[in-house]
Amino acid sequence: MSDAGISRLETHLGRLLRGGVLSSAGCLAAGLALFLTRAAPSIANALLTAGLMILMATPILRVVVSLVEYARMRDWLFVTTTLVVLIVLFVTIGVAVHNVKPG
Amino acid sequence: MTLSVVIAVIAAGAVGGCLGSLLGLGGGVFLVPFLNVGLGFEFKVAAAVSLMTVIATSSVVSAGTAGRQLINLRLGMLLEIMSTIGGLTLGVLVEHMSETLLNRLFATVTAAIAVLMLSRLERRNVLEAEADPGPLGGRFYESESGREVVYRVRRLPLALCASLVAGGVSGSLGIGGGILKVPILNAWCGVPMRAAAATSALMIGVTAVSSVPIQYARGYVIPPVAAAAVLGVLLGSSAGFWFGGRARAKWLKLLMAIVLGSVSLLYFVKGLR
Repeated sequence: MSDAGISRLETHLGRLLRGGVLSSAGCLAAGLALFLTRAAPSIANALLTAGLMILMATPILRVVVSLVEYARMRDWLFVTTTLVVLIVLFVTIGVAVHNVKPG
Repeated sequence: MTLSVVIAVIAAGAVGGCLGSLLGLGGGVFLVPFLNVGLGFEFKVAAAVSLMTVIATSSVVSAGTAGRQLINLRLGMLLEIMSTIGGLTLGVLVEHMSETLLNRLFATVTAAIAVLMLSRLERRNVLEAEADPGPLGGRFYESESGREVVYRVRRLPLALCASLVAGGVSGSLGIGGGILKVPILNAWCGVPMRAAAATSALMIGVTAVSSVPIQYARGYVIPPVAAAAVLGVLLGSSAGFWFGGRARAKWLKLLMAIVLGSVSLLYFVKGLR
């Protein structure tokens, strides 16, 4: 359990979260602007969907990055902890896919 | 969906995000009633859209605090097991809950938060010096006092239960749940306020993701509304950071408690019908 490992992980996570939220906000802003002008509804929709997907993917990626880093640190207790969280999130995605409404 | 609705949602998000970052609680407590009562969206739509803004808040706040050792990554991940299970369970069950039941739940939770906030008006953090943080504790440098704060996590089962409840609240009502966890982590589990807030801020994103994809699939996340709310909250929370420290926390909390009390009353009345 090295403090250096943990602070490297924090730096990675900070970068990931910032990148995720910025790219998501960019897509959402562009999508919303296009949506309001009604110029290209399909592009507007695609941008809005992409923005929301990136937003939802960011915390999941954060858990995946943590898993990799804990494995590199050989911190098996927290590899297990992180794996359990990831499994719950996969169940959520499974339920979501099951619930998709056609159209 | 008109321009005026989009502007109203952005504004509501901005106000919620600003107050949220000033008080260290998500803007959902304001955004949900505004979308639901103010703009007439279904409760489940308001809650799902609000959860999207919770993710954005979590990412922005955590990106800002990362690298200062305030976030307790290990404790956070352990508690996330419970909060994601709570979020997933209620995220599935919420489909079978009536609007009335959700209104009553929202009224109860907002009333509880208002009381919590009032009871903590004069609260100051007293930290005992601890030499060994143990496997879950942490240490960080506190710039105000110029010393290193070391803490050990106590009463872990209580923290796990609080996280489960916070996850359930997040999954059903669309508010982050930090407001429930932070006081408990701080008052009973030995985690200093700033570490508790930073850890909770990181957790609420993953907690939201344990239920929001289900609401997204069910069509409750209306994309342009969610986009407007997320952008509003991002603008508002940056403004909140900027104001931070200038405003007196005690008066802010009092104002918040009053607003929350009114929101709670509104939902109790709504839930009676």
